[in-house]
Amino acid sequence: MAIEGADLIKAAAFLGAGLSMGLGAIGPGVGEGMVAAKACEAIGKNPKEAGLLTRTMLVGQAVSESTGIYSLVIALLLLFVV
Amino acid sequence: MAFENLSWIQLAAFSGGGLAMGLGAVGAAIGEGYTAAQANMAVSRNPEISGDIFKNMLVGQAVAESASIFALVIAILLLFLDVPNPNLIDAAALFGAGICMGLGAVGSGMGSGYPGGQACFGISRQPGAASKLTTNMLIGSAVCQTPAIFSMVVALMLMFMDFGNAPLQPTWAALIGAGLSTGLAAIGSGYGGGLAAGASCEGIARQPETVGNVTTTMLVGQAVAQTPSIFGLLVSFILMFKVFPESSSLAAAMALLGAGVSTGFGGIGPGIGNGMAAEGAVRWVARNVQSAGELMRIMLVGQAVSQSTAIYAMVVSLVLIFVV
Amino acid sequence: MGELGKIHQLIINLFGYNITINLEVVLMAWIVFAVILVLGYLAARNVSMQPDSPQVVGELFVDALYGLTEDALDKKLALKYGPLICALFLFLVISNWLGIIPHLEEPTKDLNTPLSLGVMGFFIAHVAGIRKKGFKNYAREYFQPIFFMMPLNIISELAKIVSISFRLFGNIMGGSIIILVVSYLTYSLILPPFLYAFFGLFVGTIQAFVFTMLTVVYISVQVK
Repeated sequence: MAIEGADLIKAAAFLGAGLSMGLGAIGPGVGEGMVAAKACEAIGKNPKEAGLLTRTMLVGQAVSESTGIYSLVIALLLLFVV
Repeated sequence: MAFENLSWIQLAAFSGGGLAMGLGAVGAAIGEGYTAAQANMAVSRNPEISGDIFKNMLVGQAVAESASIFALVIAILLLFLDVPNPNLIDAAALFGAGICMGLGAVGSGMGSGYPGGQACFGISRQPGAASKLTTNMLIGSAVCQTPAIFSMVVALMLMFMDFGNAPLQPTWAALIGAGLSTGLAAIGSGYGGGLAAGASCEGIARQPETVGNVTTTMLVGQAVAQTPSIFGLLVSFILMFKVFPESSSLAAAMALLGAGVSTGFGGIGPGIGNGMAAEGAVRWVARNVQSAGELMRIMLVGQAVSQSTAIYAMVVSLVLIFVV
Repeated sequence: MGELGKIHQLIINLFGYNITINLEVVLMAWIVFAVILVLGYLAARNVSMQPDSPQVVGELFVDALYGLTEDALDKKLALKYGPLICALFLFLVISNWLGIIPHLEEPTKDLNTPLSLGVMGFFIAHVAGIRKKGFKNYAREYFQPIFFMMPLNIISELAKIVSISFRLFGNIMGGSIIILVVSYLTYSLILPPFLYAFFGLFVGTIQAFVFTMLTVVYISVQVK
């Protein structure tokens, strides 16, 4: 099996895409879970503010999700552009 | 130096078996150690009921051990399996089976120690709720084993399915990817499920009368926390059952391996995160049972958002398998 | 070990399409229906203020599941969806227990059963959501938080079907595979009955409950 340069680059790009999305998903997943846990704590302490707390939680999660979306973008770039 | 097919298969089976038991022992040991540590604390708090605590500790540890017993079964099977018609592809399948079971047992073993420990500690606080705590601990740690069961299913399928007719290139990568996908994704889900179960035992020890709501919230939270490992299982099934056209290029193989790695690693974070969300919800359902419905709702919303990264990872895997 | 993955199939050729029916699964599902009908008949045979024991068991069962449905939905919706939830739980629990009887197999061991129940729950939840909120508000939720998240939102909704059905299927099939392997390794001595008790009765009940609760919760997420 002769491996050529172009093939090697494609292979690295595919494996890299998998690694990028896979490892990139760890941080946001844990972080957003923490946000949700604290939101539950806050609602448990103060159920009247549930609506406000839900909104705050969603905004916080959206921000911490952004690194996950960066990984997705990089993975798709590696798949289709490189 | 030219090896025969049989030597390659033995090489793969023995190293796979070693990895299965070696990695599989990590989680259960940590989990059971946590249970024992909490049991010791519990005895020092309330020495009169040390008998009850000891019994509960042993029951909890027995359940926490099941993940590593699965790993032991797979390792023994790998060591003594005889392959009827040796084919190089079987070597990849056996190695994949070993890693899958080894990695898959880490999270469940580690996670199912938490409910055991918290139940022991809870018994020292509320000796009257001992039977409720033991039941809840058993349910929680049994549900924690689900990701390890998924890994065992994938490992057994890799060992006993017949891949003889598939082309070696790129199927070897698909089979190792299948093992990695379920194995890695099971780490997060198992650990996360354990966090939720631990919080529920702690909560029941505080407020024994909330046991119904707490157990329900725990089960729903754990079930959602298992979703990433189910994505891993799905990708593994696709990698095992799809027939890939023969191609000598390295890129095709790496795409399949990448698909497994992506869903596998991608499942770790969301699994742990979903477990944390469930932990928070369960803890506060016990303290404030009037808001149980509200807490369950916000837990599900939070978990759904935190799961989205696992879904991105699965999308990347599916693109790698079907499009590229 | 050759029994792993063996399925009896009936393949019917209809207008050029091959329709495959997994005979064993259909037969086992009919056995479950028969068991449920018998239980229902016993519980409702002579309803009175001084209940006999089957009626007590039936009332406790229905009461508990109605309570759980009410916790997640409100009182009015619970009346509407309660019968569905009771029926779903009863079917799943008896299906999962069926495997402990020799020569019978769990219908839930075949992916088709949990998948069809999952698709059913998905449609019920979404129709309930459209009825409650109107189609416009329902569709708007897919464009949250930004419009280009729409495909990912749809995928995450569809992923719910996959996760709910694979969870049940994986647990039940995993349990039966483990029992098969351990029986083979130990020549069916000592261990298998305990494994049947653990995977058949214990895990089977928990997973039936989880499936039912998740169906309720998916409905409640859609209607609120």
